[in-house]
This record gives sequence, structure tokens and C-alpha cells, in this order.
Amino acid sequence: MKTRVFSLFLLCLVIQSLMFGQAKDMVLIEGSRYIPLYGRDSTVVEVKDFKMDIYPVTTAEYIQFVEKHSEWRKSKVISLFADKSYLVDWKTDLKIMDTILKKTPITYVSWFAAKAYCECQDKRLPTVDEWEYVAMADETTKDARVKPEYNQQILAWYEAPRTKENRIGQTKKNAWGVYDLHGLVWEWTLDFNSVLITGESRKDVDKDSNLFCGSAAVNATDLMNYAAFMRYAIRGSLKAKYSMKNLGFRCVQDLKEKQ
Amino acid sequence: MKTLKTILLGLALILLSCGNDEKKEQHTIISDIPVSREMLAELTAPPNVPTPVGRRKAKKLIVNMEILEEEGELTDGVKYVYWTFGGSVPGSFIRTRVGDEVEFTLSNHPDNKLPHNIDLHAVTGPGGGAESSFVAPGHEKTFSFKTLNPGLYVYHCATAPVGMHIANGMYGLILVEPEGGLPQVDKEYYIMQGDFYTKGKNGERGLQPFDMQKAVDENADYVVFNGSVGALTGDKAITAKVGETVRLFVGNGGPNLVSSFHVIGEIFDKVHVEGGDLINKNVQTTLIPAGGAAIVEFRVDVPGTFILVDHSIFRAFNKGALGMLKVEGEEEKKIYSGEIREGIYLPEGPGIQNMPTTNEIVESEIPAKSFEEQMKFGKQIYMQTCFACHQAEGQGIPNAFPPLAKSDYLNADVNRAIGVVINGLSGEITVNGEKYNSVMTKQMISSDDVANVLTYVYNSWGNSKKVVTKKMVDDVKKK
Amino acid sequence: MCTRFKRKTMKHLKIILSTFVLLVSFTACNSETTKHNNADLAVFQCPMQCEGDKTYDKEGSCPICKMDLKLVETASDQIESEAISEESIFNLTSKWHTEEGNEILLEDLKGKTLVVVMIYTSCKAACPRLVADMRNIEAKIPAENIKNVQFALVSIDPVTDTPQRLKAFAIENEMDEAQWTFLQGTESGVREFANVLSVKYKEISPIDFSHSNIISVFNAKGELKHQQEGLGVDNKNTIETILQLSH
Repeated sequence: MKTRVFSLFLLCLVIQSLMFGQAKDMVLIEGSRYIPLYGRDSTVVEVKDFKMDIYPVTTAEYIQFVEKHSEWRKSKVISLFADKSYLVDWKTDLKIMDTILKKTPITYVSWFAAKAYCECQDKRLPTVDEWEYVAMADETTKDARVKPEYNQQILAWYEAPRTKENRIGQTKKNAWGVYDLHGLVWEWTLDFNSVLITGESRKDVDKDSNLFCGSAAVNATDLMNYAAFMRYAIRGSLKAKYSMKNLGFRCVQDLKEKQ
Repeated sequence: MKTLKTILLGLALILLSCGNDEKKEQHTIISDIPVSREMLAELTAPPNVPTPVGRRKAKKLIVNMEILEEEGELTDGVKYVYWTFGGSVPGSFIRTRVGDEVEFTLSNHPDNKLPHNIDLHAVTGPGGGAESSFVAPGHEKTFSFKTLNPGLYVYHCATAPVGMHIANGMYGLILVEPEGGLPQVDKEYYIMQGDFYTKGKNGERGLQPFDMQKAVDENADYVVFNGSVGALTGDKAITAKVGETVRLFVGNGGPNLVSSFHVIGEIFDKVHVEGGDLINKNVQTTLIPAGGAAIVEFRVDVPGTFILVDHSIFRAFNKGALGMLKVEGEEEKKIYSGEIREGIYLPEGPGIQNMPTTNEIVESEIPAKSFEEQMKFGKQIYMQTCFACHQAEGQGIPNAFPPLAKSDYLNADVNRAIGVVINGLSGEITVNGEKYNSVMTKQMISSDDVANVLTYVYNSWGNSKKVVTKKMVDDVKKK
Repeated sequence: MCTRFKRKTMKHLKIILSTFVLLVSFTACNSETTKHNNADLAVFQCPMQCEGDKTYDKEGSCPICKMDLKLVETASDQIESEAISEESIFNLTSKWHTEEGNEILLEDLKGKTLVVVMIYTSCKAACPRLVADMRNIEAKIPAENIKNVQFALVSIDPVTDTPQRLKAFAIENEMDEAQWTFLQGTESGVREFANVLSVKYKEISPIDFSHSNIISVFNAKGELKHQQEGLGVDNKNTIETILQLSH
């Protein structure tokens, strides 16, 4: 157990140096301040500069990952880190179903797996605030939340039947140059468990301070922004070991001090 | 041995009587009703309902409900993505008995995009189960509750935004029958009204997304029974036979509108008001609140098609709140005879009546300048004024209005014809050998128009081709 | 007459006696088979606990005070194998500091029933109540079980809650005894740990957090056995679980 865990670290260090081409699939996101949908009574949140993957992690990339890290293979992963639906649509540890294309976003992975993948590339998962910040943009505007078409388009995806067969890069890139934040799959975030929703949504408006300490302070700022609301609802319903058909992830990287 | 026998016999008797006492005991404290064994609940899609509970004891009832998000047809050419319990809108009907311990498992299909939960109005407990059933796609949650109150209850999804989840079809009914079950009837059906809000107008074709603003404004595009326009019409109508008793479990999922439920041509013998214990009798239209239900019962006595509507009537005819109950069987003329006879109705008596127009005759500003113009104007006037009775080819209506085509009466005397038009005519006349005894009112048209229309008549349909001038008309008027 | 009666009674007595014996043997068979596997691991510890919770697997003397190490009763049947099971939180490799300033891995808490709650010291609202709930639970565990139970309060604010601050908090709340431990982790380690417990939390301001109120119970192998959510909730089930795991 201890040895197994340390070997994971070692492998990560080795692989990280071997992995190529990762940096050029990222774009620089200039940080700034904004008011997220979910937070403390319209408190402004600051997002620092960071780099984000322009595409979600693909099935092909994940296959490479499990080839090198056997502890994340379907048969080896421990139940603490993934539930029974982890990679359920893969035929074997290393082979996917014939119907899945390699350029599709990887799904049916848990938060622990996504986190490990990003860490192995010297990256990390984005925080909710960072993800939402980049996702606020449409093709031309960095903050498109006030545009009705922006919301409509997102909602159309929520209502559309199964889109898992879609490949990455099919939607137009947004103003930052990032693809597929909407319209493809939900994405894991580092602190998805900062969304304190019980699911009993009538009470969620009522701030149940028995279940959540300090919850009176945290609430949705704009209940009409129900496109974003649904993303928060999904986050609130997840547990870290869950895997889902429509849930993938991408990584971000903090800027190194010395450029 | 004898003593032993007597002792054993005594014991046996005591035990038996103990058992009997337990059965006779009235379960007045419902939460104490014991459950006997397990039973898998039969879930049905609308408009059908599961088998009645009858006299069965309270059981541990296992309910497995699946949530599916799938595209369906709201009306011809209009597609909509429904979020459903059990694959139907409304969701599967759950039938329980008071005192049952329901073990409810809610499964969210992995292909779905969103998390959901369920709030059953039959549950006594926080959120009606919503807190304990919040489930992400590809997962399931189980919780259990005891049915404490009999009645007909709504269930629906309660995940934010709640209105949107309900508006997309996530509602259904759960029935908790009292001890002994509801009295037996011949037919039972499941109907649930709901309002739908689409981006496009009513009837606009294509895949229509949900429109939140319209929902907030309570401006529904569709108000339907059982999830779509025509879900209960034509082939899909509910049926019964003459003489049968029909019970309808009617719910209203909303999200916004209250229903004024009425069956055209029937009266509800009994209404379980709001799905509770209170029974109202002989009711024409009953109110079903949004998020509420009612049970209506009636006997069908005559055959025919009985239309189910929300009597906020524009919803029925313009938005789809219309269903059908088709009843077959022998007619019962005493109760409803159908049409017995038809006849003509002329409220005026023998006197000449004026047509109810202005008394002033406006002289035409553009008199006809030629024969062709006379014919043209004359035809216009004929089609406006005379056509209704004398018909397009002047053929008249047998036994009612005399013909003008090849009419001997007409052709015999021009001035008399002019007189008829400007003064009217009543009494018996003979035209082309047939007797007519009717009333023609005087025509309030100008002399020019009289001349034009008579010229048109005389020069059509084999008549004498006379030309009538304004002067001739004026001369007759002066007489 | 007399003898006949005597024979009859003897016969009856035999029947009654034999039935009685049968009944007793049945119930004995059906009684709970909680076998204690006492054989395996003997654990020794300094009676003055000079090195805190540190234990040795053979006899000897304490390196600090030189007293003989004492045999400690353990929650025996649960430390049979060295391997960590799939479900165990000891699979997490994050590093933590206790209020005593010691650096540990979660695995170092192996061997005792763990009762864990996540709080932060500058919390004014729920945490005092959560702490009280923990104390209520601790009070209901009898002394012979307490030895096998570790109450851990993990901070969700590792920036503010340094070991010194945690120690001060412990003293203030009269939780400085051996059965209480306070842990400061890294931000990433804390987020990961919280996700294993399904605890949600969000920083609202530098010293203010919003978080779910959950008390979790793990067995000596680190497997999650029970959770209690909410404040002032009836802790009957939690206590039952702890008692079961720690005898």
C-alpha cells in the first residue's frame, strides 16, 4: 500500500517529463474579477491568470494514461476512488468499445481519476470559479451572460437527446479560444463539492443552517440564470467517486513564476 | 392422561381465541399498522391503473421508478423533450394501501443529463422524499415511507429549478386506498392535466425548447391531458359500456394552471373533493388545483362520445385540453333521445315586414352608364340581396321561394315585378304551375339598383330580356 | 397408587427436562457469533504515553522515560492483515500535522475506531455545536472502549489552523486528552479527504467557510462505516456503531 502509492508519485514524475505536446494545447486565460452565479451574496470573486486545456481530455489521451498508470485501470482501481461505473463502456482495461471514437471526450471517470490524470501532467483540475469564468464567454464576448442567445444555446444542449457520441472541437471556440465548455459533456472541477445544495431545492432557497454551517451566506445570485443553475445542480448531486456518461474533464495549469 | 389431555385442550382454545382477537382489533393508530410481507408494486402507464388493492393487508411495497429524459411529440409536427418518471407523461401510477411501507428506489438513467429527485405528496417526511432521493445520472437512491393518510396524491420532481422540471412532465399520481379498498367500479382511468410552455407559438413546428419566461408569466402555449394533444382522442380515447360505472383519477401537474374539469354530457355522481375524504354529489365541473387531484365517479347511461375538457374553454379548443370517453351500447331514448324532428322557423307573421336596415334609401352615386354596367351592378345586387332565397341560377327553392328563371309570373308583367321589389309581396301566387304562399319583404334599395337588378334578372336564365330603367322604377313608385 | 403416580411424574419430568435442554442448546446456537480473534497482534505502549499514540509490537522500554512498555488491548479482529483494503481512507497519501506538531499520514491512525468531523477554529456558528456533538458522543462511550477510539477533528482551513492554533483550540475546548486529535493538512489534501467523506465546503471569506455538518465513523481499517448528518441529531446510531467497532 505505501509502496504502491509512492510508486504512483514516482511514475507521475517520470511521465510528466516524457509527455510532450501538452503545453501547446492550452491557452492563456487572463484573470479578472466577476460575480459568479453561486457564491456569497453577489461577492466578487477574483480569478488569477492561468492556462486552460482548449479541449476536454479525450479517450485517446486517457488510454495513454492508463497504459502507464495501471492503478487507474478498470480492473485495478480501488473502490475508494471510483464506483462500479468507472470506465464501464470500455471492453477491457485498455480497449474501448468499438462504437466509441478516440477523439471523444473521456467520460465515466471519477473525480479522483481526473485529479490524478491532471496531476500526472503537472496540471490540476480547474476550480468552479475558474471554469465558470471561462465558460461565461461565447464566440465573441468574454462575458456573454446577459445575451439571451447565449443562454438559449446552452439550454438547447441540456434538452437535446444523447450527445455523447460527439467528438471534441465540434462547437465553435469561444472568445478565449477554448472549445466545448458547453454542448459536449459536464466537466469535473477541483472544488465541485463547494456547491452546498441538498437537492431539496425548495429548502435550498431557505438556507438550512443545520445541514450546512454558514449556508445562510451562500446562495444563487440569479435564479433566472437557470442554465448555470443546472450546472450547479449537477455539481451538487455528485460525489467524488461517481462516474457518469455525460461527465468528463479538462485540466488547467498555474502560471510558473519564472517565465 | 386425562388431565394432560384437558390441559392441552385448554391451551389450544386459549391460543385460538387469542389469534381471533388480534384480527378483530381495529387499527386506529395507522402508524402502528403492521406489514405482512413484501410485494413488488405494479406500475402502469397512463391511462391505465394497477389492480385495486381490495382487502389485502398492509405490505412492504417495493417501488422501482426510473427517470428517462426523452423526446416525444407534443402535437402533430411539434417535438418536445420530456423528462419523465417511468417513460410517460404523467409518470407511472402507483397504487398503495394505507399502512403500506413503501420502499422507493429512484433510478436516474445514465443517458440523462441532469440530476433529479421526487416529492410524493403522500409522504409524511421532509421534502416528501426530495432530500433523500436527489440522484445524479447513472445512480439510484432508496428511501422508505409509510402511507399514513388515504387519498389521491400528486408526485413530482423537486430539483431546482422546480418549475422547469415539472413543466417538462415530471409529475404523476400515487393512490393510497383506505382499508378495504375503494368501492368497486367497472372502469378506472388515469388522467392528468399539465400546461406546456414552448419558445414557439402553439402549433409552430419543430423541436420546441422550454420557455422559462412564458412559464413565469403563466402564459401557456399548450394545456393538455396526459402529456400531449390528442393523447385521449380518437383511437386513444378511453372507453366504457352503457350501464357501467366509471371512476377517473384526475390529477393536475400544473405547473401553473388550475383545472375546471368537466365531462361534456355527463354529471359526476360522486366527486372525492381534492382527492380527500369529502364527497360531493351531482357535480358538473370540479376544480382541481395545480399540484392536486380529484376522483370523479359516474355511471354512463347512454352511448356516445363524451368530451373531457378543462372548462376554461379556450384551453380545450385552442390549446389541447380535450379528451374523449367513448361509450358503446344500447340507446336509452328516455334519457337522451337524440334529434326528434326538424322544421323551419319564421318568426314574422303574414304582414309585410321591413328588412331591418336604415329607412333611408341612398341613391347610388354611380349610376350604370350602359347595359353592361347594368348587368354587372345588377348581378352584384342580386348576389347580395336576392340570391339567398332565389338561388344562384334563379331556381328558387321548391315549396318555399318561387323561381325567377323562365318564370311566367315574372315575364308576364314588368311593372308588377318592379312593384314586388319595391313593395314586397305576400299571399298565394302560382309560378310555372306551382303554388307559393310566402312572404317577400320590400327591398330597401335605390331605384337605380332596382333597375339594375331587374335588368340582370330579365336578361338571365331564359327570361324575356327586358331592360328596366330608373325611370320605369320611379314611375311605379309614383303610382 | 403412589408408585404409579411416581412413575408418571418421572416420565413427565424427563420429557420436560429434555425439551428444556433442547431449547437451551438452540438459543445458544443462535446467539451472536462475535468471535474474538485475540491471538494475533499484541501491541505495547508506554504507560505514560510519552510518545503520544506510538505503539510497539514487542516488549521493551520507553525510550524517553525508560518505563516498561505495557500491553495494550486492541480492537483485535480488525488488524489481522497488513494490507489496506480498497475502501480504506488509508489509501490517501496526503500529509497531515497534528496539534502536537507531528507529521503523520492518515495510515498512522490505523488500529483504532476513528470518529471524524471537519471544522475550522474560527467558526462561530455550527462548529461549536459540532464540537459539542462530538463531546456528547465521547461522553457516551465507556472507558474500556475509549482506548480503541480516536476522535479526529480535521480543519478545512489549513491556512489559519496551524498546529499551534489547533493546540490552543484543543485546550480551550478541553479536548487535550489522548483520544482527541486535531489535523492540519494541505489544501489539496483537505479537499481530497472531504470528498471521501462527501463533506461539502466553500470558502466565503478568508476566515469564513460554509460546510456540511457530518460526523463520520471509520473502523480500525479505515473503512467508512457510518455517517451522521446535521446538528444536534440523535446520535444513538452513531454510538451503537462506535461501540460495535471498538469493543
